[in-house]
Amino acid sequence: MTVHDVRSRHGDSKRGDASDGAIFAEAVGGRLSRVDGPAKITGAAKYAVEQQIDGLSHAVLVESTIAAGKVRSIDTAAAESAPGVLLVLTPDNALRLNTATDWLGTPPPDIPYCPLAGDITFSGQHVAAVVAESFEQAVAAAALVKVAYDETTAIVDLDDPKAGDGIPIDTMTKEWGDAQAAFAAAPVRICAAYNTPREYQAPMEPHGLIAKWQGDRLTVWEPSQWLDGMARTYAEWFGVPFENVRLVSPFIGGGFGSKAFAYGYGAVAAMAAKMLGRPVKLVVTRPQTFTAYGGRAATRQTVALGANAEGRIQSIVHRGVNETSVDGMWVEPLGSVTSIMYATPNFSSRQNVVRVNTVVPGALRAPGENPSAFGIESAIDELAYEVGIDPLEIRLRNYAEQDPEAKKPWSTRQLREAFAAGAEAFGWSKRAPEPRSMRDGNQLIGWGVAAGTYPVRRAYGEAMVRILADGSVEVESSSIDMGQGTYTILAQTAAEVVGVPAEDVVVKLGDSRYARAGVTGGSRLAGVMTGAVHKAATAALDQLVGLAISDPNSPFHALQANTLVVANGRIASPRGDGPEVSIAELLGSVGRSQIEAMGDTMPANSTADDRYKNYTTIATALSHTEGDYSRHSWCAHFVEVRVDEDFGTVRVSRVVSGLDSGRLYNPKLAESQWKGGIIMGIGQALLEEGIVDRRHGRIVNNNLADYLIATNADIPDIEVISVGIPDPQSSALGGKGVGELGIVGVAPAIANAVFHATGKRVRDLPITLEKLI
Amino acid sequence: MTSKTRIPIQLQINGHRHELKVEPRVTLLDALRDHLGLTGTKKGCDQGQCGACTVHIDGQRVLACLTLAAQAEGRAITSIEGLADGDGTLHAVQAAFLEQDAFQCGYCTPGQIMSAVACIREGHAGSDDEIREYMAGNLCRCGAYPHIVAAVRQAALEIASSMETAS
Repeated sequence: MTVHDVRSRHGDSKRGDASDGAIFAEAVGGRLSRVDGPAKITGAAKYAVEQQIDGLSHAVLVESTIAAGKVRSIDTAAAESAPGVLLVLTPDNALRLNTATDWLGTPPPDIPYCPLAGDITFSGQHVAAVVAESFEQAVAAAALVKVAYDETTAIVDLDDPKAGDGIPIDTMTKEWGDAQAAFAAAPVRICAAYNTPREYQAPMEPHGLIAKWQGDRLTVWEPSQWLDGMARTYAEWFGVPFENVRLVSPFIGGGFGSKAFAYGYGAVAAMAAKMLGRPVKLVVTRPQTFTAYGGRAATRQTVALGANAEGRIQSIVHRGVNETSVDGMWVEPLGSVTSIMYATPNFSSRQNVVRVNTVVPGALRAPGENPSAFGIESAIDELAYEVGIDPLEIRLRNYAEQDPEAKKPWSTRQLREAFAAGAEAFGWSKRAPEPRSMRDGNQLIGWGVAAGTYPVRRAYGEAMVRILADGSVEVESSSIDMGQGTYTILAQTAAEVVGVPAEDVVVKLGDSRYARAGVTGGSRLAGVMTGAVHKAATAALDQLVGLAISDPNSPFHALQANTLVVANGRIASPRGDGPEVSIAELLGSVGRSQIEAMGDTMPANSTADDRYKNYTTIATALSHTEGDYSRHSWCAHFVEVRVDEDFGTVRVSRVVSGLDSGRLYNPKLAESQWKGGIIMGIGQALLEEGIVDRRHGRIVNNNLADYLIATNADIPDIEVISVGIPDPQSSALGGKGVGELGIVGVAPAIANAVFHATGKRVRDLPITLEKLI
Repeated sequence: MTSKTRIPIQLQINGHRHELKVEPRVTLLDALRDHLGLTGTKKGCDQGQCGACTVHIDGQRVLACLTLAAQAEGRAITSIEGLADGDGTLHAVQAAFLEQDAFQCGYCTPGQIMSAVACIREGHAGSDDEIREYMAGNLCRCGAYPHIVAAVRQAALEIASSMETAS
């Protein structure tokens, strides 16, 4: 109904680079720089635990030093008499909390919850906490807490002989055709095992919170990927109404899956704050970040591929195992890429989980798809060499023209285009096929390729959009920005819809008092929230134009127009006749201080309970294969490695990736996220490994000097090429997921390149030098 | 807390003198963040491994988590809050970080920027490889490294050309 055009006022300085074509930076799809950038580069951005709160006390955790057994006794006397100590918390004096609903919405058992353990199931479990006037006093006193244990034997990891085969997870079973028989009958067969170690999210901002009670109302400043979900957990723990808990998380210093839930340390801090009647700050130490919540589970897969002599797959038989904790359940879906990447008439995938003495594992960038792709994308590379065809050609030869599992057409699948664009930019056609056939001095050069994918996770969202008296626009949502660019793309969305410059849009995120939002995870936020903001902004614009046309005090009242144009914050007739006024002038003349519109994409008949469930659990999320289509993002990575022939050191020297995330709401920021995923994948391939001390069942490299993540010196230039097209089946504005996609397939691309360089196939990550010499 | 456990110190931060009484064991990082409200300097590991707490002391890049506040007494401390001009004009490195999208979550960013300013001043921004090496002490888990290199390269050129103009 309304024409809008943000192009006329701003000059070329706001234009994106040539790759944008005609899209200006401020519109959806433009390369607007981060609107929260100035706060982040000047130090003005206040992260959750940086709030300056009067009367703050400081809590420090005490952790178990055994992996299995019982706490026999805790001697708190020395700690209690240490200077400044306000409280020493143990299970003996802890408040009785309720067990909370889990993220799936499963009703909790009616048993009390204590975040401090008496029964020890992993090393690093919280057993006590000390609260003191100052951080230094709390640290010193925590070291005085003496814990005595009755230790029992731990199952330290998947390789422990006591670990066993684990528990079959029937919901992970996927089968069609007769995979075993077809594999047995196939002329070409390969079968190998692929392992990934424990890996950790390691966001630069450690987890922590400030908890403050006012009566039965709790405010929690905590970095969060899911304010409403975490608020529900706190509310249920403490038996207060959901509305009584306010989560505040204006900036998040990285999450990568690890900041979506309220964890035990949060319960400890909130409990201490309640007991002391004053605010408590608790930030887990860097070593504690390895056990206060779970990283990616260690995984084991076997992949058997049966093919004909031309390399066409006849059968895939896949078996997977991931570790979980003794008393918690985490399933890392290892067959998720295996079942959709290639066309096969026969398929079987099954998965077990094995209980070991670890913290319950959790989500780390592309949970499931990441290790799954390491298996299948390594295996198909092995098949390419077995039948003697190019690794890129074998992928095209087995291209899945529809979802082989769901038997539905893809909504969009620009994977062929990703292979083509990546291969062209990389120069793949110049690759010598034989391993060890390319070298530069003592460096063996290898070129590898692998594909990746991630499902489009969809959910309902809501947003509040206001047009204020000064003509500016305000967007509110309890969703968050942990670096993906939410502040920026929502400003672009509202600016484009209402017809104002993006600089006149203020986006407010990270406060659970704002319009509700579901989890920021699984690459769903951008699609959900641009849709919700688009709807709310459209409703606000409709109100604005309606006022301008119908209000007797409006300068447009006499015009008898049935529509008006809003552009650059000014309102005019589409024919150019009649007046032209600013939004502020119009609101002034009709006597309105603001226009407000809530937009939500929930089904129209949704109840309040439906909405609560939608925003505090993932029970209402929409399947990526719902309806007529199967929806996924896709990518192809081309990697060059240089391996020192004498020392076995691997350097990634070049990466070119073609990626299909559908329409990009802001290519500048999407490219950054893709590259970030690729870089995390380089670290995963070559560096990252949680090392278990098998005597004590303990992660020994629980710090950033020993748990190696990629540094600047490890990373070459990376070229990312967008090959996506708008996908209306995936989101309101045509985008698919961005954040998880980039990492999927990087590790196998590197492993495949290392094989091409050296002739050695490394099937367990990371690819360290001792595996090559 | 009894007063005898605390010592008075004076810190010169971003051109301003601050007087505070802290325990001798308080790090410069905690003094900045918890005692002075200067939270732009970040705590990523508190054990000298990540670089998020990088500040300048007498123009040298230093890890504030491995420096006691008392050690910095009488020396000129610059934190991220003091890098832009008084009128708000961004330092060339800050502007380049924004333009090149050299950050995502922003948590390592103040440390990256402080390191980058020093890296350029040290004469270690002569090539992309040199920048990668001399910026390798600042971890970025979002993986902004290629853009950080581009930003440091851009800022180094701008600073060099403005110094030429000035001379």
